[in-house]
Amino acid sequence: MNHTTTANGSDTGLEVSTQAVEAEISDRADPQQVLADRVAQLYRQMPIAIGATFIAGAIATFELQGRWLKELVLIWWAIVVTFTAAASLLLYAYYRSADKVATAPQWLRWLGIAALGNGASWGLAGGVFFRSLSDEQQVFLAFLFAGMASVGIPVYAASWPIFALYAAGILGPFFYVLLTFGNRLFVEIALLVPLFYAINVAIAYRLTQVFHSGYRLRRAYGRLTQDHRLLNQRLERQLIELEEARRQVEASGRKLALFAERAPIAVLELQPDGTVAEVNHAAEILFGYAAAELVGGSVKKLIRPEFHHEFDRTWRELVTSRESMAGLKLRNPRRDGVDLVCEWTVTPLVNFQKEVIAVIAQGRDVTAQLEAERMKKEFTSTLSHELRTPLTSIIGSLQLINSGVMGDMDKEVGELAVVAERNAQRLLDLINDLLDIEKVESGKLDLMPEVIAVDDLIRESIVLNEAFGERFKIRFESHGDVPDRKVHADRKRLLQVMTNLLSNAAKFSPEGGVVEIGTEDVGGNVRVSVHDRGTGIPEEFRARIFGRFTQADSTATRQKGGSGLGLAICKRLVEVMRGRIGFQDRPGGGTTFWFELPRHTG
Amino acid sequence: MPDRPLNRICYVEDDEDIQRIVRMSLERVGKMTVAVVTDPTQAIAAMAEFRPDLVMLDWMMPVMDGPTLFRQMKLRPETAALPVVFITARASQRDLEDLKRLGAAGTISKPFSPKDLPDQLRAIWAALP
Repeated sequence: MNHTTTANGSDTGLEVSTQAVEAEISDRADPQQVLADRVAQLYRQMPIAIGATFIAGAIATFELQGRWLKELVLIWWAIVVTFTAAASLLLYAYYRSADKVATAPQWLRWLGIAALGNGASWGLAGGVFFRSLSDEQQVFLAFLFAGMASVGIPVYAASWPIFALYAAGILGPFFYVLLTFGNRLFVEIALLVPLFYAINVAIAYRLTQVFHSGYRLRRAYGRLTQDHRLLNQRLERQLIELEEARRQVEASGRKLALFAERAPIAVLELQPDGTVAEVNHAAEILFGYAAAELVGGSVKKLIRPEFHHEFDRTWRELVTSRESMAGLKLRNPRRDGVDLVCEWTVTPLVNFQKEVIAVIAQGRDVTAQLEAERMKKEFTSTLSHELRTPLTSIIGSLQLINSGVMGDMDKEVGELAVVAERNAQRLLDLINDLLDIEKVESGKLDLMPEVIAVDDLIRESIVLNEAFGERFKIRFESHGDVPDRKVHADRKRLLQVMTNLLSNAAKFSPEGGVVEIGTEDVGGNVRVSVHDRGTGIPEEFRARIFGRFTQADSTATRQKGGSGLGLAICKRLVEVMRGRIGFQDRPGGGTTFWFELPRHTG
Repeated sequence: MPDRPLNRICYVEDDEDIQRIVRMSLERVGKMTVAVVTDPTQAIAAMAEFRPDLVMLDWMMPVMDGPTLFRQMKLRPETAALPVVFITARASQRDLEDLKRLGAAGTISKPFSPKDLPDQLRAIWAALP
């Protein structure tokens, strides 16, 4: 649609568009449907046409039959009756037909033939009888022809070509007879006949146009009404859905409000400029302000002035990126001036235009938590340094005494010094184990991974633990060395794992026994196994063997040493190095402890 | 490897008990000559006078810690070339790596064994260029 508006405000554009709208509306009508409507209109008029033809034919037969032409008139009457019968059959067939729309052009053609036949039967009467009739009869016949021709206009108005055929059938022969009668008056009348014919056809043409546009509009209107109805139904459905959605939103809104209100964390709704729009009860309690004191003011009231600059920067970033941020730690002054450290999660709410309409801030007081973490760190540090320093002196002194470099001493004093050294060493092991556990669990373990040949590792661990094994009269034996098995791991920590497994095996093996160490490939992993011939793991102990402070028999701790943390540390160390650890009964008695690490290739 | 055996050790340590143990260990087990310095701020002067083969520094000391003293030694011509071994209770693996990069000859972790200490130092001594 070309809608132009000129500078002087011409409304031509509006007219164009109105026409266009009409055209658009008319275009909605299905042309075939419109044609079918017209055909139906024509067939509805047929009973009138058939009746009129029959009655007029009967009158004409009656008027004309007194003459010498009696047989011919009767023959003509027979023709008229045949035609009306044929037309009736056609009408019957039309009403019986199933699909009047698709076959409309065909019914129109048949009707045209019938109309031509109807007209031609009157024409026949004119052509054959007119010359031989009396003056009165000629007037009657002429009057009849004029009447029949003009009756045809309303009857066939829905299709002017059919009227034209019908009227031509009547008037054509009549025109010829008048023209060739040899009477000047008749010639003049004859010349008027085409004129009347043309006028009648023109009227029929106009009427056809009116019918056509009438039906078209009716159809278009029908379509529009139907469209309108469908549209209404759809609107109604959407309205119902909208109402349902509104109810859901309202319900979840209520739920959210409830969550925010009852949540143990502070929830603030902020405007994009940082103004507080709403706060929950937890926020009031946490910061010591009533909601009314915060709402409407800047959220900076809850932030130390020296951090305002940093806050502004973060806030700009938040509003620009429209991405939520978590884990923001801020110093938030309480109303009484005490600083809290809160951890915040801030989430911008964005509308369809991607504009930030609000920011939801959820804050948790982590002051106590941070303090606890700090204290724990301090404690660990104390444990590490302050306990180890005196132990260094104790163990060092006892070692020097026990090594004999200080000279001979009483046998019993010497025994006591050995006891003192062994127990000081146990205390040190326990401290080291505790520190290790703490390191692994807090993720502070520094790993220095390198490529390690597994059989080198085993050899080294055997050398390191030989002396310990001798104490329990145990030998370590490695078998199944395969030089190309390598892992990527921290050597020191792996040796720690090996030492734990070997010393455990030594402690729990019968005197004079052999602890065997083997390697094998398990999937993409290298498995190192330590086999002992001990008494096995008691059933009730199996589930918690890798837990902390666990020993199957607490008397063993006193007899054989060990903190009960060794396997717990092993499990965590192996897992930190992406491996796993386990144990199983050994056929023939004893236990096999194993660990696996991903095999290093290349 | 230096062409003479390890003999003179200077040990900077604030804990007098540990001082005593280390001195006994080195003198009795290792048959070495030991000078012990308690105050790290006096250490450089003491070293200049004593002329040790090797210096042992405690990591954690009040006033001045071992690494700081080590850096100062590097700045002084009379001590810059001395091999330094750290004795430490709490340094992480990474700290030790950093120290080695700075030029420390070795590290011995606390608690150490006084029986083995002389051998440990001799091994570090043997590994020197």
